[in-house]
Amino acid sequence: MTLKRVYVWELPVRLTHWLLFFSILTLSATGYYIGHPFISVPSPAKDHFVMGTMRAVHLYAAIVFTLAVLARLYWLFAGNRYARFSEFIPLSLWRLRSLWRTFLYYSFIRHDPDDYPGHNALAALSYAGIFMIYLVMIATGLALYTVIASASSPFQVFDFLVPLFNGLQMARLIHHIGMWIVLIFVVAHIYFVFLSSIIEHIGTFDSIFSGYKFVPEKEAERS
Amino acid sequence: MSRHQLGDELERRGISRRDFLGFCASMAAVLGLPDTATNAIAAAVENEARPILIWLEFQDCAGNTESFLRATHPTVADLILDSISLNYHETLMAAAGSQAESVRQRTVRDNVGKYIAVVEGSIPDGADGGYCTIGGRSALDIAREVCGGAAATIAVGTCAAFGGIPAAAPNPTGALSVADAVPGVKNLINMSACPANAENITALIVYYMTLKQWPPLDQYRRPLFAYGKTIHDNCERRAHFDAGQFVEAWGDEAHRHGQCLYKMGCKGPATSQNCPVVKWNEGTNWPIGCGHPCLGCAEPNFWDTMTPFYQRLPEVVGFNVGKWIDPVGLSLVGLAAAAAAFHGIGEVARHHLGKTRPIEDKAGSEK
Ligand code: HEM
Ligand code: HEM
Ligand code: SF4
Ligand code: SF4
Repeated sequence: MTLKRVYVWELPVRLTHWLLFFSILTLSATGYYIGHPFISVPSPAKDHFVMGTMRAVHLYAAIVFTLAVLARLYWLFAGNRYARFSEFIPLSLWRLRSLWRTFLYYSFIRHDPDDYPGHNALAALSYAGIFMIYLVMIATGLALYTVIASASSPFQVFDFLVPLFNGLQMARLIHHIGMWIVLIFVVAHIYFVFLSSIIEHIGTFDSIFSGYKFVPEKEAERS
Repeated sequence: MSRHQLGDELERRGISRRDFLGFCASMAAVLGLPDTATNAIAAAVENEARPILIWLEFQDCAGNTESFLRATHPTVADLILDSISLNYHETLMAAAGSQAESVRQRTVRDNVGKYIAVVEGSIPDGADGGYCTIGGRSALDIAREVCGGAAATIAVGTCAAFGGIPAAAPNPTGALSVADAVPGVKNLINMSACPANAENITALIVYYMTLKQWPPLDQYRRPLFAYGKTIHDNCERRAHFDAGQFVEAWGDEAHRHGQCLYKMGCKGPATSQNCPVVKWNEGTNWPIGCGHPCLGCAEPNFWDTMTPFYQRLPEVVGFNVGKWIDPVGLSLVGLAAAAAAFHGIGEVARHHLGKTRPIEDKAGSEK
């Protein structure tokens, strides 16, 4: 079987991926502290700024995160076929078949993976899910931010979000739960990336840096 | 009330001109108006036509009435009570029974579009409004009649403003806020809190008497002068929050040193009101000032979304999600990692059984 080198992940996909990676690590670490301040410092108060720093870093990382998500959402419409909207929703017959095949492969029932150069249909579905969670994180985060921003801040336009989540405390809870969902995704995601790199050896791991994958010729042509 | 009369009245009650101006200045401060507004306020309180108030009580505990009667500045409460005409107030009026009812009806009839309705307590619509009736009429009915004809309606306390405790899940009586019970009510102003701070109610009335209009409101129709900032933003313990100094248990070292109550469930970060500035009981102190976390009493759905009070994150319909989210989340992440490890072992086994694509294929690609 010959493998063909295919350019799958254009720069915006790779760039947003790594911006999201670093911002999510930062947001989770600082967010966990905000939710659960485990560092306590001695008096006097004026000598320390632990919570203040955590919140500031959280908010700066949130800016990076939000802009990266917006850029990636734009690229759903502007990107190549592997980055597009339609990749993430398994509606066509072959995509549904790919979903099923991948599932059987991961369940040790079939032994040949789906070699489609883009996301396999199961991975794509999980990414669609995680994009939704991103939007929930941004919306709840902005809702929480309205009471942190000054009364004349332009961010006050988002105050309609607060009743939507049934108040700030519910927004906070959803935001907090969202973090754990993201982290569960991250563990599974990294495992599957390594799995697919090591077992399928189509260059999955390298692809998110270089943009290229190596796939069987017949798969490269599939559309 | 003429100036002369008010002067006499003040004197009779032992309030000097100086005290009176002091009161007016404090009102200006609460309202966030400049010092120069003091004279305008004094003139308005002395000379303006008294607004007529009808104070309705429904599903309530009379806490707002209590709070208002004990309004700050000894006897200035009386002054405000005198400079408004409180035509109907069940707890205060001498009249009773049908006599009282007829006073209310007459006031509504004679002053359509001119009086101010004040509502305390939520309004149940369960059992056709039968859970709260006064003089044989449902609260719903009375509220619609009185608020419907008012120039403005002030919902005092969280129950009237948002449904409050009676509306807490499962809301057995179908308790509604004024906004929900009287759709299309004109000039509704929500003075939420449990109870509403007398200082703020007084300031609202003074604002109206002085400027002949109602103050700017937030999205829940609460005046920005009182609800424009969170408790957390003005909290005297905020430096401890930012530093990272938290009370971990009642009476611990941090608690004795007045550090931040965040970990004890303080809802100050989610609650907008001016308690840290105006305080309570004649500016004596306020909850956080004496070591108790904010309960979030001024917010919509506070009983449902701010509880448990001594826990930071809320419960959701009986499930203590807030308490368990971190241990459960952490376990699930661990479980995912363990599942991945097991799956990985399976993969290695599969590989050794020769079921997967041979490694050499990769070389083929590099030709
Ligand atoms: C994956 C991304 C994110 C994660 C994992 C995350 C995590 C967290 C966590 C765990 C908390 C503490 C919640 C609590 O009180 O228990 C928090 C608070 C907060 N987050 Fe995020 N967050 C993320 C994205 C965002 C975004 C995009 C924004 C802004 C748009 C944002 C704004 C905030 C704000 C304003 C708070 C409240 C801070 C405070 O109360 O002092 N977050 N975040
Ligand atoms: C915070 C952690 C991470 C998150 C939230 C995350 C999320 C995502 C998302 C949403 C995609 C879809 C890309 C798109 O179409 O825009 C993706 C793809 C990818 N990620 Fe991550 N990622 C994380 C960490 C990592 C790490 C640490 C690696 C490398 C070891 C990695 C490797 C990859 C690869 C190789 C792909 C392409 C996979 C495919 O072919 O379907 N990711 N990731
Ligand atoms: S005590 Fe409450 S309101 Fe005050 S700083 Fe701490 S969390 Fe904020
Ligand atoms: S400190 Fe909080 S709970 Fe206490 S009165 Fe003020 S808003 Fe209500």
